[in-house]
This record gives sequence, structure tokens and C-alpha cells, in this order.
Amino acid sequence: MTVWSPNDDGFADLTSHDTFVQGAPHNTFARLRREDPVHWTDWDQGQGFWSITRHADITEMNRQPDVFSSARGIRMEDQTYEEYLARRTFQETDPPEHMQTRVKVARAFSKPVIAEYEQDIRDLCDEILDQALEAREFDATKAIARQLPMRMLGRILGTPEADLPWLVEKGDALIANTDPDFTDHVLDKMDTDAFRMMPFNSPAGAELYQYAKELMEHKARTGDTNGILNLILNPGRDGGVISETEFRNFFCLLVAAGNDTTRYSIAAGIQAMCHQPELLGQMQAGGDVWETAADEIIRWATPALYFRRTATQDVEVHGKTIRAGDKVLYWFASANRDETVFDDPFRVDLARSPNKHLSFGQGGPHICLGMWLARLEVRVLFEELSKRLTSIEPAGPHEFLRSNFVGGIKALPVRVTPA
Amino acid sequence: MKVTWKLPDGSEISADVAEGLSMMEAAVAQNVPGVVGECGGNLSCATCHVQVAEPWAARVGGPDDFEDAMLDTVEAARGPGSRLSCQIRASADLDGLVLIVPEA
Repeated sequence: MTVWSPNDDGFADLTSHDTFVQGAPHNTFARLRREDPVHWTDWDQGQGFWSITRHADITEMNRQPDVFSSARGIRMEDQTYEEYLARRTFQETDPPEHMQTRVKVARAFSKPVIAEYEQDIRDLCDEILDQALEAREFDATKAIARQLPMRMLGRILGTPEADLPWLVEKGDALIANTDPDFTDHVLDKMDTDAFRMMPFNSPAGAELYQYAKELMEHKARTGDTNGILNLILNPGRDGGVISETEFRNFFCLLVAAGNDTTRYSIAAGIQAMCHQPELLGQMQAGGDVWETAADEIIRWATPALYFRRTATQDVEVHGKTIRAGDKVLYWFASANRDETVFDDPFRVDLARSPNKHLSFGQGGPHICLGMWLARLEVRVLFEELSKRLTSIEPAGPHEFLRSNFVGGIKALPVRVTPA
Repeated sequence: MKVTWKLPDGSEISADVAEGLSMMEAAVAQNVPGVVGECGGNLSCATCHVQVAEPWAARVGGPDDFEDAMLDTVEAARGPGSRLSCQIRASADLDGLVLIVPEA
């Protein structure tokens, strides 16, 4: 059995989605951390950009949203101001505007409120795992990892169970908009200009919006005032109400971000179990390991490979001058393998503590709203999975998503022996 | 200025804190358990919750609107002196400040 290790030549093209089909180019990130921590990339499809790859630098820059703004876009691709306004969510705002939206939903995603879902999550895991493990060989991403976040999203949004596969398909079309397995409108391979005012340049954004509108109309008719979507429609502290466009974009954000990131964390955890067989025993021994395991699995996964900022002023970092208006990418995938922060970073250590990973964008105002839910889902899923297994191993090579933005194992064939 | 954190187990941690530093940054530097500060002091995670001990509450002051909303998301019970410690800056007039780290 081979442990997965990066196989890029150290000079991978970070602009190419195809690079990431082999997994994140960690040899390249390691070289950049060592030799060129503020690295410029020219790009033939847009303005070039800076890559920040060291943990310490990302941490230092991320806490300065006034210097490195989110309010010009958060992906590598350029947007016109018009497109930005049409497509932005609160991810693409800076403090204090960012807080207007965040405080509306912060309580609903807070640790104590999310903790109340634990039994629901465990019940869902029972159903999902009982069904998945009936087959001795299966695709663990499809049968397990995809299922739990999808069904929890349904609970949180208050959507009918029957609508969930459609919703997730649309969410995938948005966020995996560079992988032909997930969308007919591959971002860098065809003209998506007709959809440039839609979230993620994707027609799925319009379909999701129509769905959200109908859902809210239905809720209004039946007097259902519960749930996240109602919270976001409430007036803010400044009395402001969000526009239809903002509502559409927020809904798309929940459907997209609330789904695939946890899915790919679970998938990466299962992949780790396949390649480090000792993990199953450590999970089964239980106890304190569950205090730390979820964060280590989420570090290992790093589903959000990077987020982009834009410099608001000229600033010098490690001898390079970042000019006002320059795009700056925080490569969380690199920071989470930074050997100056993590001992043996390419090994999953379920007891790792402290674990200052940046998978949730820690250290800045845009820290993941759903992090408590993600941690809880990951912990409970692996508690339940490990109870049910005697062994798990690969049943073939796994495949990564074609995306330099979302890192994930989209196909993970495994063979299991149930306990 | 000198700050003391009182922990749920009855123990205390004291430190000299440079002016201008936030109480969250100071706590993280001192490894005060229970003060995490995951969002780097940007009022977005509510993992740096403390209660300001009397008689300091009035001098430290209360939370602003956004902080007040975020205090509704904390894990430990919210009390009258509750603050997010990333929003309290070290200054000479707070010398001797006592912060209680609530039990989660």
C-alpha cells in the first residue's frame, strides 16, 4: 500500500485547474515557503497575483482586512465591479459591513446551538453507514462523505428531503464550476459570459435563486418563521434589509459552501484511514482523541485551498512590494503543511495539539461561519464509522476534483470489513 | 499593565501586558486555557469570551452593538461583565485588571 505523496515537480502552474487533479502541488508549496514566500505569478487569463504560502505570513496578513480587502473578489479570477456587485455575498465584504450580515446568522451557527444537532447527526450517520457498509466495496465520497452534509443542510434550511439531491447537484455545479463531472459550463473551457452576473458564473445560480424564492413563499404561506433563511431576511442592527440579489447569493453560498467542504473533509479522513491503518485503532480506543481528531482531519483535507484578498495600499512583505490593487492569494493548503508549525505535516496525527490549522480561515474576520457544524459532523461521522469497521483499505486509485480553489477527493473507492 | 486571568479550576495566570495589545492577544501569548481567539481579533468567532471582574467592569465599559450580538453566541453562559477580550486593549488605567475565564 502506498501512502499518498505529492508528485509535482516543484514548479507547478497554480493557475491551472489541471494541476490539482493530482492533488494540491505540495512540492511547489514547500519550495515557495522555503525560497519565495511572496511569489508573483503572471497569468494569461487575467491580472497576475501574489501567492502567500507561509503560515505565519497568512496569519499576519489575514488579520488586517483594511490592508488586504475581501471586497474586490475572493477568487483568482478577475471580476468587473458590476459583476462583483451582482455576485457578492458577505464573504466579499469587509468589516464593518461584513458584521451586519454575520451577526444575523452567527447565533444559528454558534457552538452551543450547533451542539444541539449532535443526536440528529448521529441518527443520520446510522442511516448512511448502515446503507453504505452493506456493500463491501464502494465509493466512500459518494456513499458516505457526500451524504451527511447534504442531509444536514436540508435540516438547517428546512427543505424537503426529496429536494436534497437536486440542491446538492446545483451546489456542486456552482462551486465545482471547473470540473466537467459537476457542470456542463466549465469555467475555463467555454464561454460562460452569459452567466457572468450569476453566482460562480453559473446558470445553477439562477435555478437556486428560483428555488429559494419559492421556498420562502411557501414558508410565508404556512407561517413557518424558523430557520436560517428567515434570520437573514430580518433587518440588521442598522435597520437595513438585504436585497433580493443578496438573498440569492447568500442562499447559493449556504448550498455551495455548506456542502462540499465538509464532504471533502470526510473524504480526506477516510482516505487517511486507508493509508494509515493505525488510525482506525486510535479512533476505536476513543476518549481524548475525539477532542482533537476532527481538526486534524480538517487540516489534512484543507478543502478551501486558498482565498484571495486585494491590497488596498502599497505594502512590503519579505522584500517584495505588493501594490494597491494587486491580488493576494492566501494558500491555506500550503500553510497547513508548513513544517515550521506542524511536526511531520504529511502525517495525520489525530492527537495533534495544538493544531493551528487554517482550514477555516482562522486569524481573520471571514473565519468559517459553519466551522462548529463542520467539526461536529466530522467527529460524529468518524466516531460512528470507526465503531463499525474491522478494516478499511483502498480498492483503487482515488481522484481529485479539477479545481485550484476547492481541494477534494471526488472518487474514493474503498474495501471494508465490517466489525 | 498587569492582568490576571482567573481560571475555572481556581488557578490564576498573571502577566505584564504591553500597552495597545488586546486582552485576547495577551491571553493567547500566555497560553490561557479557554481563550482561543480563532478570528485573530476581528469579532467574528466569539472564542475569547471573558467576564470582567468587579470593580473593573465600569472602567472597561460595555460591548458595542456588534460585540453584543456576538456575545449571544458564546459557549459559556453570558454574565453581566461578559466581553470578548479581543475588544479590550491594554492601557495604563486598566493596570491590575482581573478577567474571569468562564467555564465552557
